[in-house]
Amino acid sequence: MSLDTPAVPPATTAPPALSGPELLDSLTAVFRRVLELAEVPADGNFFLLGGDSLVATRVLSAVARTHGVELTFDEFLADPTPAGLAARVTAVAAAR
Amino acid sequence: MSAAAFSPSPALPAPAGAPRSVVVVGAGPAGLTAAVELAERDVRVTVLEARERVGGRTRGIEVAPGRWIDAGAAYLGDRHTELHALLAACDLKTAPTEMTGAARFALGADGGAAATVEGRFPPLNAVALGDLFEQLEELAATVRPDAPWLTPDAERLDALTAADWAERQLPHPDARLFFPLFLGEMMAADPAKVSVLHMAFYLRSGGGLRYLNAFAGGAQQDRVAGGAHRLSERLARRLLAAGGVLRTAEPVLSVEQSDGEVTVRTPEGSYRAEAAVVAVPPLLADAIEYRPGLPVRRAGARTGRGCAVKLHLVFPEPVWRAHGLSGWSVNAAGPLLSTVDDTPPEGSPGVLTGFVTGAEAHRFAALPPAEQRAAAVAQARRLFPLLPEPVAFHVTDWVNEPWSRGCYAALFGPGDWSALGPTLTAPHGRVRFAGTETSTAFFGLLEGAVRSGRRVAAELLGD
Repeated sequence: MSLDTPAVPPATTAPPALSGPELLDSLTAVFRRVLELAEVPADGNFFLLGGDSLVATRVLSAVARTHGVELTFDEFLADPTPAGLAARVTAVAAAR
Repeated sequence: MSAAAFSPSPALPAPAGAPRSVVVVGAGPAGLTAAVELAERDVRVTVLEARERVGGRTRGIEVAPGRWIDAGAAYLGDRHTELHALLAACDLKTAPTEMTGAARFALGADGGAAATVEGRFPPLNAVALGDLFEQLEELAATVRPDAPWLTPDAERLDALTAADWAERQLPHPDARLFFPLFLGEMMAADPAKVSVLHMAFYLRSGGGLRYLNAFAGGAQQDRVAGGAHRLSERLARRLLAAGGVLRTAEPVLSVEQSDGEVTVRTPEGSYRAEAAVVAVPPLLADAIEYRPGLPVRRAGARTGRGCAVKLHLVFPEPVWRAHGLSGWSVNAAGPLLSTVDDTPPEGSPGVLTGFVTGAEAHRFAALPPAEQRAAAVAQARRLFPLLPEPVAFHVTDWVNEPWSRGCYAALFGPGDWSALGPTLTAPHGRVRFAGTETSTAFFGLLEGAVRSGRRVAAELLGD
């Protein structure tokens, strides 16, 4: 991001949430990027893979940017895996 | 060079092209690392130190008989490989930092009520903080770590302050609140006083945000058992054992070169050698008079002092642990912008260390001692209500320390990397420069200091 680009746009302007396998792929890719790992399984626990709370916020920022869903840190902690996060994103998007 | 090469075993003689004598200016970890490597290779070494002690920006405080805490640099992590090797070669051990229990956060605008939270995560909007960290990580990734002045877009990044950047890039109030606290913790900087390039470089140099911020698995994983100052004490002992000379209370005034030799002058006398190593922070290196003069100065008009005042509140026991608290806190209002449990590994006395950083460090440092103590104790007891009156209270003001001029490290302001970067490690005739600020790896940390000392010794020995 260059210094001239605006900060992350409000979540409501982000594209609608993906679903199913595409959503899971997208979230797995976020885990891989922020954890700097080549592979992350769908049930890979973020904290056992070397993540910490600081890095977890980067996942939440990416989810908000990409899927238009703002989750809290506690919501992430409930099931900190790509699959768990996909289920949460789907549930929040459906409830809107 | 391997760790084994740097052990106090019988020395190889220095190669033919190496100087037979060297004066080292500064007896901190950088200068002493260089001095010992040279002396143990049969170079005649004289170390000149302005203070009456060795250790530079490390200093020990004995809080109980044989139990020491760090008034200055304290921590290390697994990636600090040169420091680990040097500690082992000096028969020093490390002890893990402990961080169990809940943290306290007083992040309200008035700095009032504190919240108790498991772990170290502040009770702020996680998406907003994530946005801040994503942007910082992205900036750090753009930096050329070996030569930050050659970073794409370096000119623009070097012209802006970190505060300018935050103003443009951080729309959310929680990110704006947390950013200066984070920068204070990471690099003891006031965002208005450092360039964006320096901020991004520092984060990159130290191993990235996660590594720099983490205790277990990060740059604060361990401490030096008995205090980090013991490293310099052990190195000084090795220097003397190898026939070197250490002269304390001798601040260097000038470094002159003529007829193939260097003359280093102090108020007490002058010292001649075939080469010199200046291993003091940039602001102090720049205050020495050089003849002939330096082609490029060691510090610019906007090079700042690392803004850290370290406080220690000592109690008979770490009572917060019995209440499920880790001792960690982060606070929007000073003086204690963050606290950490620094109780010695033996388990007592209880030591709560407070960091006063950034702009707050200047304000706090100007208070009379009684007001410093009253403000720090009152805030500590608001954060940890069961605390008794401390049995001891220590203030270490690195900002105004004349022979450090700041801590953790010099802060490069706008324009500094462009002006100073290209000659950071360049020799000036027979004079070379060391110190953590000359190491592009782990700049500002003990590891950077040790690496710079080894670099300069290797250059002189032609290794």
